[in-house]
Amino acid sequence: MTAHDDKKLSQLSQLAMPEPTDAARRRALDAALLAFDAAQADAEKSSDAPQGRSWGARLRSIIPQRSWIMDTRITLGFGTAAVALLLLPLGYQLYSSTAITPVAIPATVELKQQPGQFSVGQDAGAMQQEVLAEAAPVVPTERTEAGTDGLVDDVGAASVLAQKSAAPSPRTSMAIEPFAAAQSAASGAVSDMEMAVGMPAPMAMAPTEPSGDSFSSFDESPVKVVQNEPVSTFSIDVDTAAYSYVRQALNDGWMPEPDAVRIEEMINYFNYAYPAPDSPQTPFKTTLQVYPTPWNAKTQLLQIGIKGYVPPLTEDKPSNLVFLLDTSGSMDEPDKLPLLKRAFALLVDQLSSNDTVSIVAYAGSAGVVLEPSKASDKAKILAALENLSAGGSTAGAEGIELAYRLAEENKVDGINRVILATDGDFNVGIEDPEDLKTFIKSKRDAGVSLSVLGFGQGNLGDDTMQALAQNGNGNASYIDSFREAQKVLVQEMGGTLETIAKDVKIQVEFNPAVVAEYRLVGYETRALNREDFNNDKVDAGDIGAGHTVTAIYEITPVGSGAALNDPLRYGSDTAATAVLPSDEIGFLKMRYKAPDGEMSKLIETPISKSLAVESLAAASDDSRWAAAVAAFAQKLKGSSYGEMTYAQIKALAQGARGADENGYRAEFMQLITSAAIISGQD
Amino acid sequence: MAAFVDQSALAREPVPDASLALLAARGDRLAFAQLVERHYDYIFRIACKWSGKRSDAEDIAQDVCVKLASSIKSFDGRAAFTSWLYRVVLNAVRDMQRARSRRGRHIDRYAEVAPDAALPEQEDATAMTEIWAAVRRLPDQQRDAVLLVYAEEMSHAQAGEIMGCKEATVSWHIHEAKKTLRGLL
Repeated sequence: MTAHDDKKLSQLSQLAMPEPTDAARRRALDAALLAFDAAQADAEKSSDAPQGRSWGARLRSIIPQRSWIMDTRITLGFGTAAVALLLLPLGYQLYSSTAITPVAIPATVELKQQPGQFSVGQDAGAMQQEVLAEAAPVVPTERTEAGTDGLVDDVGAASVLAQKSAAPSPRTSMAIEPFAAAQSAASGAVSDMEMAVGMPAPMAMAPTEPSGDSFSSFDESPVKVVQNEPVSTFSIDVDTAAYSYVRQALNDGWMPEPDAVRIEEMINYFNYAYPAPDSPQTPFKTTLQVYPTPWNAKTQLLQIGIKGYVPPLTEDKPSNLVFLLDTSGSMDEPDKLPLLKRAFALLVDQLSSNDTVSIVAYAGSAGVVLEPSKASDKAKILAALENLSAGGSTAGAEGIELAYRLAEENKVDGINRVILATDGDFNVGIEDPEDLKTFIKSKRDAGVSLSVLGFGQGNLGDDTMQALAQNGNGNASYIDSFREAQKVLVQEMGGTLETIAKDVKIQVEFNPAVVAEYRLVGYETRALNREDFNNDKVDAGDIGAGHTVTAIYEITPVGSGAALNDPLRYGSDTAATAVLPSDEIGFLKMRYKAPDGEMSKLIETPISKSLAVESLAAASDDSRWAAAVAAFAQKLKGSSYGEMTYAQIKALAQGARGADENGYRAEFMQLITSAAIISGQD
Repeated sequence: MAAFVDQSALAREPVPDASLALLAARGDRLAFAQLVERHYDYIFRIACKWSGKRSDAEDIAQDVCVKLASSIKSFDGRAAFTSWLYRVVLNAVRDMQRARSRRGRHIDRYAEVAPDAALPEQEDATAMTEIWAAVRRLPDQQRDAVLLVYAEEMSHAQAGEIMGCKEATVSWHIHEAKKTLRGLL
């Protein structure tokens, strides 16, 4: 077989390769030189830091490489080397710095002429020195002119490589550089980063490939023994970003990264028909349900449902909204800026004449795009939105401060909120993430809150998004489609914009006489220490108007035989528990603050055993739905608890769909099917 | 401009890659320019061969050139510059393909199996396209080995240097690849 195969395979070498075009070559060389200058300027500033970013470690690079390249190309296409000169070093630095690292903008492109430095080349003798020294002045003069008077045309741009004609002819002789020298260095290990990473591992077929999006990683909350740790404390979470992200991933044909799956956000994506409170004095109402666990016959689920107060439609609080929009080059994709424009147009449609809207852009065409305007002036607002374009050449240095300043100047007695929309570029003007959080926190305390809307994929700083929104008393949503924009900005606008209770914490104390073990499903990133519950200084999640929040505990009743931990040999449980009322599963305590309050209020409810229903079928549709979503999320996460097949989860969800007016639940059913196909499991 | 340069000096004896690379790593702009200029076509061809599309190849080549500005510092001269560069380009191709595939464009990747500029007058263009298609479906390492050895006509040792493995490992991948390809060729 070998001879024949060899012959066949040898044909591979005969495939004609297209010649590169001169235009593409010149663009590449221009870009490379400018990047080089930027790298050198960087090197001078921080001579101790390692230069550049290794390829393997740029998960959070601000602008994905492809669009950056395309931008460059467009700019250069106009033939003005001067623009390129200004844009590229900045572009490169944006590109090569992390999300929130300082962006040093070289004021002018400095040129390095150091003929005295040529001491290195072992084989490069005096002749080389002479050549380079002679050639050195040629290029620099041209470039400096280009930088200053900006009148250089295409011909001028070409002279960046004035050496071109003089340099050893590249096109023909360089086609295949002989590997002769390779032999001399045969087994030499190579120290560079790329090389250390080496050839990429074989691409996994069932795909959880690194997406380029960054997520905080976390471990699943473990099963706790009630005897040892009877109290569980966490902050509520109304975000739904994880669900949209998971949906996008599955629809694209790959399994989401486990860290991208936050179970509580999956569950909270859906609306549950919990009864709402009647008056604004009680901002939310709690609904408790206990029913058998679908994935474990011996345990039960305790579902805590919270519904926020829904202000009557007649009540029209003035709102003062500042849109802070990312217009970096990477936003120039169909699912980013164009979607953002449509999404905000939807939002503007919902506003009334006593609302004001301002628009600030950053990272691209920076600055105030729209001075504060009455929301009734829709044409003006929509025109301003429409005029936004991605990928300008200015740095949006003070984007966030500008946005907050506008918000403060126009403060109203109602909703004051900055809405940040981005695809992961948090280069809003404050470089240090901690400073940024502090800034947002201080503004929140002064009455201006923040919501974050994420767009696009591949670069999303999910972790930063979460952190910022949490510090700004806001919520983080991920907008992957027009439909999602409708959900977040129209149907749930009240919740997105109007906070009705802040710092909402939940603490459940389980009764050791009834419950042997418990496990909080999800909320890993929201866990609080027991003592944090009564500490009003500890920040927690907020509830918007009409929001529903659901938390689920899996509890193992005493004597069920399903406890994962053996009882203690020397435990003295009986004496302690005998006196406790045994008809209570546990005791629920919740703390919250009024939107403008500093002192928290306490709500307490016993969780009675009588809540428990005998069978899953007897539980409400909403309960079974929540359980199905939890089961699905756990499966996507590869959770160590719960063994259900996709088919079983689907069957459970199928029977719990209810009215499903907006079709969100039907969509979820589709996701189960997709996940089953992609993972190749039942 | 070029008139000021002593062309005969440049033409006489090109400065070796390794020297230019070391100069560039120390901040010598001119050496860097020369190096990139000299190797652009090489970079483009590798990108073209591995990505299979001219438009992608141009993007990748430009990306590699830009990245060289900072990564040139990590070239330490122990391997030949071209081998080092080959690997850099290959990684860039992979980066792009991975970015693609997670956006659900698998089809694109497999459909574009051969460079779109394969000359029509080539009699066996179709046959060649089939071989490309078959080779591209191989597991990564096998495919790399086959392409380096057959498409780039490298020795197993050279291929090993680029793949970061031993010569024998390359031979083994080739062997495995042939086994997989049996019946397809």
